[in-house]
Amino acid sequence: MSWRFPKLIPRSAPVILLLLTLAAVAGFAAVSHLVARYNANQQSRGRKLYQQGLADAAASRYDDAINVFRAALTCDPTNSQYQLSLARALRDSNDPRRLDEAESYLIALWQRAPQDAAVNLALARVAAHRGSIEDATRYYHNAMYGVWNSDPDANRSKARIELIQFLLKRGAPDKAESELMALATALPPAPDAHLQAAQLFAQARDYAGELAQYEEVLRSDPANSAALAGAGQAAYREGNYTTASRYLQEAVNANPQDEDSPQLLTNTELILRNDPFVGHISDVERNRRIAAAFAQAEKRLDECAQQKNVDLKATTTPATASGSAPAPVPTTSPLLLLQSLWTEAKPDLARLRSPAETDLPDAIMDVVFQIEQQTAATCGQPQGLDLALLLISQKREAANQ
Amino acid sequence: MSNAASTAVTARFRGPRRLFSSLEGVFNEEVFFLILCVFIGIFSGLAVVCFRLAIDWIHLALLGPLPQTHSWRLFAVPALAGLVVAALVIHVFPTIRGSGVNQTKAALYIFNGFIPFRTVIGKFICSGIAIGSGQSLGPEDPSLQIGAGIASALGRQLEISRDKLRLMAPVGAAAGLAAAFNAPISAVLFVIEEVIGRWSAGILGSVVLSAVSSVVIVRWFLGSEPLFRIPVTTFKRPSELLAYAVLGIVGGLASVAFAQSIGFLRPRLKALPRWTQYFQPAVAGLLIGLIAFLGAPQIMGAGYDSMDQAMHGQYAWKILAILAVLKIVGTTLSFVSGAPGGMFAPTLFIGAMLGGAVGDIERFYFPQLTGSTGTYVLVGMGVLFAGFLRVPMTSVFMVLEVSGNYEIIVPVIVANTFSYLISRSLLDVPIFDMLTRQDGLVLPSLEENREEAILRVEDAMLPVPTTILSAQDYVDANARRVQDSTDATFLVRMHPSGWNTISRDELQRLFHEGKGEHTLGSLLPPQSLPSLYPDLPLDSALRYVNDYPLVPVVNRANFRKLEGVVTRESVFKRYESDRTPVGE
Repeated sequence: MSWRFPKLIPRSAPVILLLLTLAAVAGFAAVSHLVARYNANQQSRGRKLYQQGLADAAASRYDDAINVFRAALTCDPTNSQYQLSLARALRDSNDPRRLDEAESYLIALWQRAPQDAAVNLALARVAAHRGSIEDATRYYHNAMYGVWNSDPDANRSKARIELIQFLLKRGAPDKAESELMALATALPPAPDAHLQAAQLFAQARDYAGELAQYEEVLRSDPANSAALAGAGQAAYREGNYTTASRYLQEAVNANPQDEDSPQLLTNTELILRNDPFVGHISDVERNRRIAAAFAQAEKRLDECAQQKNVDLKATTTPATASGSAPAPVPTTSPLLLLQSLWTEAKPDLARLRSPAETDLPDAIMDVVFQIEQQTAATCGQPQGLDLALLLISQKREAANQ
Repeated sequence: MSNAASTAVTARFRGPRRLFSSLEGVFNEEVFFLILCVFIGIFSGLAVVCFRLAIDWIHLALLGPLPQTHSWRLFAVPALAGLVVAALVIHVFPTIRGSGVNQTKAALYIFNGFIPFRTVIGKFICSGIAIGSGQSLGPEDPSLQIGAGIASALGRQLEISRDKLRLMAPVGAAAGLAAAFNAPISAVLFVIEEVIGRWSAGILGSVVLSAVSSVVIVRWFLGSEPLFRIPVTTFKRPSELLAYAVLGIVGGLASVAFAQSIGFLRPRLKALPRWTQYFQPAVAGLLIGLIAFLGAPQIMGAGYDSMDQAMHGQYAWKILAILAVLKIVGTTLSFVSGAPGGMFAPTLFIGAMLGGAVGDIERFYFPQLTGSTGTYVLVGMGVLFAGFLRVPMTSVFMVLEVSGNYEIIVPVIVANTFSYLISRSLLDVPIFDMLTRQDGLVLPSLEENREEAILRVEDAMLPVPTTILSAQDYVDANARRVQDSTDATFLVRMHPSGWNTISRDELQRLFHEGKGEHTLGSLLPPQSLPSLYPDLPLDSALRYVNDYPLVPVVNRANFRKLEGVVTRESVFKRYESDRTPVGE
């Protein structure tokens, strides 16, 4: 069986072309209608699959989500939202092989809309997964300055906070700090934002910045116990013990359940009561504090030596009367050196009252600080007055530097 | 109606008539044909859009939108659809068997451009069902034939000249293929390289017009998204070409295995009793479905999604290698069973998986290689195209057009060359020619044509004659000069240029008639002999050797310099020595 079209068309070139044009227009219209209906069906199916994929992704079922998003994309291949979601699922699936594909989707989206903040943020996260500081920073910045569909200020802050966390995690505190500065100037007045920023400053070891953020919270909410405790801790870490004492006292009063602040407050008060270098005390009081610190240092040295089975008397007692040899002591033991330093400095205590000996307090306290630092390194973190002396030594060192 | 009103109506219709009659003179056949090619592209594009929607719709309806493993549908659907397709092919559309490329070639060379329109409908329906139900076949070959069939029907309807009608099928084929691949350059090259086999401005123009217009239509409706999302592809060090050469070798061997398996199984399955043909596509579908059921659903259908994932490194090398082998098995089963569909997409699939696998293995042993998995996957596609389909030029441009990246052109050329040469050395006949011969047709093998040594004028050329006469010399002087020669005919150098001939008898006659004092040139006809160049095809000498006893062969740079002569005897003798029996 074979058939052919009936020969209806007249043999005139213009007429033929006219008829062909009409046929093409009719075909075009028919296929347009068909494609439109097909696309509508596909888009409807794609939306259902997309919702299913979002649910899978939210439940961290990334393999399922990836399959469903792929299927959604076969229904609506140009849908940017589906592509973005698939790329996110690929990225979050913790399979390094999938990062390439995620990046490929995102790059295609980025090429279409380089200003899209969501795409830039997703690309930044891919770069962060790869550990590329340069690319991640670039895309995070693009996200911060890009176009957000909703709540741009909050999203920009979130993007910057994410960048700061990434930089801190990757060991780039300098870059993180410059981002923190920018963040601090653009934060919304919400206390939560300042509290989060304060924590980032703390991670970046910028305690002054941290304290400033807590104080910002306290300006609007003076009774905020978290801010009071945080401010106290920040001031404590910064070595600003007067301020720390004030905030910590308020924090303890505001929240008696706070477990950390009382201990810090005790340490702070010990420091304030025993620091011989504070300006508002008399010479007598200063000398008393030095003598107390010196005595405490000896005690700490003895305890540490016992803990490490080091005989401190070996340097001063060459042999016993019975003639038995003392226990062998390594001559290089730092504790023995400290013991000899302490012994050498002990006579100087008596000369503290002399107004001519202006350098003596520093010299004696240097011995105390060396003992506290060395014993902390050898025997672990001290408690009580020893901890206070150690912190005073660190503050002193920082001030000298 | 009054006379005035009647006159007004007549005048209203005279305008368009006058316009048409004035346009009539504008459209000579060449112009009309070129415009027709645009319409062929439009209609083919529209048909291919519908075809692709049909495949997607059938796939969704039969297999569902989500890829499933371990579902009974995976083997039940292709098996049952195979039964339907077999019944349709046997009873309703018997002409759709075989490759669309070969049927288009047959239309061009045997059937004067005739492709039954029933073939178009049959290909559309049966290929749509077969591919949509999961047979391991691609939509490109049916699209090509749908385009060719539409063009053929249009050409017949418009009663264009036989010469143009013959060309209609390849023009439509280019449109169909371009629409299916969304790649007009590759489609044009493929049709010229594999179907038409010759270049001319007219052919190229018509094929390009149809391909471009069909791609415009497809992009209008389906978007301009490429078939794959191309990852970052890199080629940094020339030493890495060795890695791509290895890929070319592996791809060449895989191409041979793929082609041999089809060449071996297809005639044997065709030779089985007729009743088995009802079940062959179903059995093929069942086996493919079982492979999918057991964990490799990627081999079903064209597999573009899986190629895309391979390009982005989603599969480990072992999976890639297994998928390549399983796709060879699946496509062989589908194709030899008689299920309608093409091998373009499966070829790309196999090449992609093989490329990815080879690339991953190479990079495991040589971590300094910088090419990404995506780069090897892309190159692998071209490798199989070059080795299996044996279209070296199309294979290169196809990769470049699909990837839009010219950085990998050198690796593609190197790998494709290796693959093509290995395939040529291990397999005498390309796959399309093999299928044609199995179907009992003798179509010109375009690869053989390309490789055929052309006889040239220089191959039949005799040395420069020892005696050459001058038109400026007197007849008696020339007569004296020929006395010692044994030749019967002499070349005469005309003044200021050109050549003529004179026989010994003619010269003697002039001498005896007392014209010895005349210059020879004054007695010879003024027209010069046609001259040939040594590099011209020997066929061009055939036009003259019957009319002239000697035809001079001159130098192209200096046409006064004689390189030799050809005679009727020398030409025929050369053809005789080169003759090969017909059909070999």
